[in-house]
Amino acid sequence: MSEFQEEEKVKAGLEAKFPGAVTNALVQRKNRVWLDAAADKLPEILAWMKAGGFNHLATITGFDEGENLGAYYHMTDTKMIVTLKVKTPRANPSIPSVLAVFPGALSYEKELEDMLGIKIQGLPPGRRYPLAEDFPVGQYPLRKDWKTEDYLAQQASLKTETK
Amino acid sequence: MSKITIPLGPQHPALKEPENFMLVLEGEQISGATVNLGYNHRGMEKAAEGRTYIQNLYLIERVCGICSHSHTTTYITNVEELAKAEIPQRALAIRTLFAELERVHSHLLWLGVAGYEMGFETLFMYTWRDREQVLDCLELLSGNRVHYSINTLGGVRRDISAEQKAEVLKRIKFLEERTQYYIKLATQEPTVLARTANVGKLPYDVAIERGAVGPTARASGVARDVRKDDPYLIYSQLDFNVITHNTNDVFGRLVVRALELLESYKIINQVLNNLPEGPVAVKIPMRIAPGEAVNHYEAPRGEDIHYLKSNGTDKPERLKVRAPTLANLQSVAYMLEGGWLADVPLVIAAIDPCMSCTDRAAVWNPKKGKTEVYSWEDMRKLGIEHYKRRGVDFGRL
Repeated sequence: MSEFQEEEKVKAGLEAKFPGAVTNALVQRKNRVWLDAAADKLPEILAWMKAGGFNHLATITGFDEGENLGAYYHMTDTKMIVTLKVKTPRANPSIPSVLAVFPGALSYEKELEDMLGIKIQGLPPGRRYPLAEDFPVGQYPLRKDWKTEDYLAQQASLKTETK
Repeated sequence: MSKITIPLGPQHPALKEPENFMLVLEGEQISGATVNLGYNHRGMEKAAEGRTYIQNLYLIERVCGICSHSHTTTYITNVEELAKAEIPQRALAIRTLFAELERVHSHLLWLGVAGYEMGFETLFMYTWRDREQVLDCLELLSGNRVHYSINTLGGVRRDISAEQKAEVLKRIKFLEERTQYYIKLATQEPTVLARTANVGKLPYDVAIERGAVGPTARASGVARDVRKDDPYLIYSQLDFNVITHNTNDVFGRLVVRALELLESYKIINQVLNNLPEGPVAVKIPMRIAPGEAVNHYEAPRGEDIHYLKSNGTDKPERLKVRAPTLANLQSVAYMLEGGWLADVPLVIAAIDPCMSCTDRAAVWNPKKGKTEVYSWEDMRKLGIEHYKRRGVDFGRL
């Protein structure tokens, strides 16, 4: 038996409730659980967790893994942090919105769209966040192939014409 | 009555930093509000990927002018967890001390801003004067008033001497007396009650639903405090209470912050009187083994959470920062709806959105041909002389 009984219980509960959709679950240390979750089941998993006490979505981390783009949902019951990693192919990145479960996640989801170019299905229209209104469309700064130097070089070339 | 939409911000006298609220008004009453952000985006997460762990420490400190210690401590906890470093107890105690001094400085600042927004400028003057005491403590211990830079990879930069300890305790005792007065004032003064009661309501369910954190959540009865729930540093060894209130309004947020000040003084006394002996830092390798960590921290404004992924080099693969104000802004939209236009500045200020601190004045003296930095004593003398020439003598005060 592991020394982290509470954490193992949360892990086992998720695995039993969502077989196939929850994989690679790992108890890293006290109060930290990591797992992979299937994108299409995401809102369902979060709703189930919320009913079970994990009622705070602390934030979502967007991550460029290479072939896939990742969105890591850090769920917490204030004591334990359970991180659900959702992966979506880089060629056509898309994840369902979780706003129906967590209305407070609006800025986190907008950030995924703006900084990594992950399409969030069901996100209401509105201003972009956090990039500026005149930031070029189709450029996603947190992707690894986006280089600050290239962007600055583009800006400089614009300036030479106005000189 | 026809509806009219007006923008508040991004540049507006009632806001201390750029953000935009689109307010739908029916007469003087607000029927809808949306928050727009991003005017201050500096691309720090991307910048962090191109810097070493020690360089990032100084970058992350500049995420916020007030929570500078909060962000570096969260960041460094992640780095040290990935490096599997054993941090000396004395260093952890000093970090805890700074965390609480920072909370005192932030809460006193907020009390002043709240006083200012409710038209009670004496309160603003009083709290900001008293706040100098805690800023002096921070300067005494670290050499800086705002960006203390006390954290370093593996521990802290400076130790605390017996004289410094006595000096801090003296000032904290003074602040404790002042805070008792503020609590009396906040709970008994009719103008404060009239201006804050039932303003900016945020019921318990909505606070949970919208992910509110910190004093904003605690004033709605949500007993959420990372220091108690998932103790970091040396909080598990300390005796303190989580303050909650159940009025769900600006008044509650005022009471929660005022009472939290007393808890912070309690913690500061405990830490200073039981400082463990030993070194204040250990060596951490420049390259951090591959791994990932997530840690949260109770900043003065609420839960601050960082995610860090390392890849075996001396630079992080990904660093994610979520500051507490971002978590609270969705709640502000709710608080504004149904309220009055005149309450908007007070309601926004009540979550304590982040704001920078100014330094002392530097004056160019053409007679001497050099720049002089005015100290508090000099500024006071200057003020007294200025008014004396006009026939008012403040010298006796």
